[in-house]
Amino acid sequence: MLSSSRRIVLALEEGYLSSGLLALKISAVLPAMTKLLEWVFGVLVVGAAWALVTFDLLDLRLPEAFRQVAWPMPVYLLVVFGCYSLATVGYRVATFNDCEEASKELQAQIQEAKEDLRRKGLKL
Amino acid sequence: MATGADRAVGLGLVGFSLLLFTYYTIWVVILPFVENDHVVHQYFLPREYSVILPGIAALILLLCVGTFIGVVMWKSRKPKKVD
Repeated sequence: MLSSSRRIVLALEEGYLSSGLLALKISAVLPAMTKLLEWVFGVLVVGAAWALVTFDLLDLRLPEAFRQVAWPMPVYLLVVFGCYSLATVGYRVATFNDCEEASKELQAQIQEAKEDLRRKGLKL
Repeated sequence: MATGADRAVGLGLVGFSLLLFTYYTIWVVILPFVENDHVVHQYFLPREYSVILPGIAALILLLCVGTFIGVVMWKSRKPKKVD
């Protein structure tokens, strides 16, 4: 059973929730603050904020420009995540180094193994 | 360094994703703050398409993945043994 101060340090260090206070409140209510619960809570908070702006649930009457930016936000975040993934994969493909020495060593070892097996009677 | 084709494909992917990110960010985040009669608006479709087009792209991606899995499973089926 983790002490509540250890829980706060964990949550702050990992930065999953927007404030350590929130983590303290939850750990006071539930005995086990799992990673899944942290993520679910974070998603719920962000989702509630988005719904508040998009559907004007509190009648805040924000400027039209802010509402127009807010409503495609879930799709926008997905597209940005997709672009980041694509860019990371592309960059790592472009900078992956060829290992000439390791390749030659491996080929030599394959030849050696084939000879050895042939001598022992395996037909290759 | 990685060889020719690998670098070309990798850098192509990076460039494409940067272009896509820039265009989509301008479309979703910047345009609402630009007056309606500015000339830049003619290069962008109406806002509904900024959600519809990624939705269609996601459906096509799912279709491709499903088709690939189906083809691989079809090719790897073994005929039943006859006793």
